[in-house]
Amino acid sequence: MNSKYYITWEEYKADHPKLEGKPEQAIAPKIQKYEDIMFNFIIGLFL
Amino acid sequence: MTDTAALAKEREQLFRDLFSGKTPKRVPVTNPATLEFAIQYYGEDLAEAQWDLTKAESALDKFCHEFPTDTTPIGSIRPPAYYQLLGSKAIVMGSGGFMQHPEVMGMFPEEYDDFIAAPYDFIIETIMPRLYTELDTDPHKKAMVLAKALQAHLDDYAFIGQMRARVNAKYGLVSPAVALTEAPFDFLADFIRSFKGISSDLRRIPDKVSAACEAVLPLMFKKGKLPNTEMLGYSFLPLHMAPYIRNTDFEKFYWPTFKKLVEALAEAGYNVQLFIEHDWMRYLDFLYELPENTIMRFEYGDPRVVAEKLGKKHIISGFYPITLLQTGTREQCIEKAKELLDIMAPYGKYWFQGDKSIISTDKTGNTAKNLRAVLEYVMENGTY
Amino acid sequence: MDLQLLTKAVGDLDEPKVLGMLKEFAASNPTAEETAAVVSACQKGMTIVGDLFDAKEYFVGDLIFAGELLSSAIAILKPVMGGEETVNTGKIILATVEGDLHDIGKNIFKSMSEAAGFAVYDLGIDTPPNAFVEKIKEVQPQIVGLSGVLTLALDSMKNTVQAINDAGLRNGVKIIIGGNPVTEEACKMIGADAYTTNAAEGVKICQGWVS
Repeated sequence: MNSKYYITWEEYKADHPKLEGKPEQAIAPKIQKYEDIMFNFIIGLFL
Repeated sequence: MTDTAALAKEREQLFRDLFSGKTPKRVPVTNPATLEFAIQYYGEDLAEAQWDLTKAESALDKFCHEFPTDTTPIGSIRPPAYYQLLGSKAIVMGSGGFMQHPEVMGMFPEEYDDFIAAPYDFIIETIMPRLYTELDTDPHKKAMVLAKALQAHLDDYAFIGQMRARVNAKYGLVSPAVALTEAPFDFLADFIRSFKGISSDLRRIPDKVSAACEAVLPLMFKKGKLPNTEMLGYSFLPLHMAPYIRNTDFEKFYWPTFKKLVEALAEAGYNVQLFIEHDWMRYLDFLYELPENTIMRFEYGDPRVVAEKLGKKHIISGFYPITLLQTGTREQCIEKAKELLDIMAPYGKYWFQGDKSIISTDKTGNTAKNLRAVLEYVMENGTY
Repeated sequence: MDLQLLTKAVGDLDEPKVLGMLKEFAASNPTAEETAAVVSACQKGMTIVGDLFDAKEYFVGDLIFAGELLSSAIAILKPVMGGEETVNTGKIILATVEGDLHDIGKNIFKSMSEAAGFAVYDLGIDTPPNAFVEKIKEVQPQIVGLSGVLTLALDSMKNTVQAINDAGLRNGVKIIIGGNPVTEEACKMIGADAYTTNAAEGVKICQGWVS
């Protein structure tokens, strides 16, 4: 999704090189989860 | 396995069979009355119990105990706390305690181009502060308002989820998961351009309407996804605007992105339920084209014609007129349920639901009496 | 000004044509009588819109647009209308009843009534019974219109009619109820004089009452 306010894990990882070497399998789903929670909340305000 | 756990498993199987187009063991039954109804029926204050959901739980418990149903009778309740924190104009509590959607407009016609270029950004930056007025402020306050509202939203829905799990465990009920989304045209109409606005847009700037529908389609698809395709659940689309526009406008503006959305969700492995509000009888041929085993709950129409045209390919539901429960005799109400079963059950894929939700009690108490009688009847006699 | 062409253009909901014709007309320094004839031609066009709605060629979205078109038309003609108040067909007090926030149908009925020459006093949404009573005393209308979409609106309509009765005002007005849940049975239960789920039909009923 092309938006200032939504980021995928891949994009986030690219922006945060300090996460290199940290446990991605635990971090990635969590970071993505809050992005999606916010998306569903915002769109839900218009449904 | 306990009795209630076995009952729940049986109920889950009814819906798994139904959603995959197999004929279930019996007709699944959903109580069309909601948590708002239960709150009022059992004497709680409607406004208070939506603010303090702990006050709703005993009403829900009694409701599940006294009224037969396969699914949890909660409905699509909107807890008021997060709306209040956001300063909502879009969803508002009326004087009777019911959360409602008054006609609002979040976007002006001259703003279509910006919306089309980046709809999610435009919604966040421009539309949200207009319809959720506590966000119309400096960035620091705005961040805090959003944080508080999101917390309230998550807290209230978490409590509802826990309450749901408790009654489900106690009574052996099931709750298919629901991902709410909309046809792009409806999304554009409901809160963004408004009913009045979109009616004018169709005639004045039709190309922009089409482009805006295409622009929001990916948002509607993403919103309609469930956490996975294995869980029992469906994408849920309440359909709004089609009955209010001409056939030519439907074909050109409503249908294309609506069809793409349903197809994309089905392709991705999700079940799709359409709540077909008002009168879609002139659009049945279009509905036929949707992916096989789309669940179609009708508010209005001729059940016989709908069954003939759509009953083999799709999963039909709805039609039971809930106002009859208020005005009719017990015999008339049961007769109506029998009539629908006779028409629908032979097609092997009928789900008993009301034509719409019952959200308010009536002074005579007829609705509750007749509702119980009808639910009992369909539970006992709903065979294919 | 070809009045028949104007009527047809309104009926066709051809906004560019209607507004173009009216702007040209207004700029031509017309007399008040000429303007009155143009207003009448627009109203005839709205009758066509109502007929096409009955014939299921136009739908609610088209009625809404027609209301917008008429408002724009009147705005263009206002500067060249006669100084006197146009004789109005009658007075209607209109509102969505207590507990209900829906007003789209009410607003369509309002546009169409105004197009037919009624003066409409719109009290808005979520309107308690005493607000109706007070306005009836103030305005002395021929007609009171109650609108609602939720089933609970029927109870509010009953309470409203009761309040009007208790205030000794019931015999002086005709009451019409409108909205999704209204039926003949509901109308009897509520004590209204007429019911409709079709704004155009509602206007015809009101016209029948004041003629």
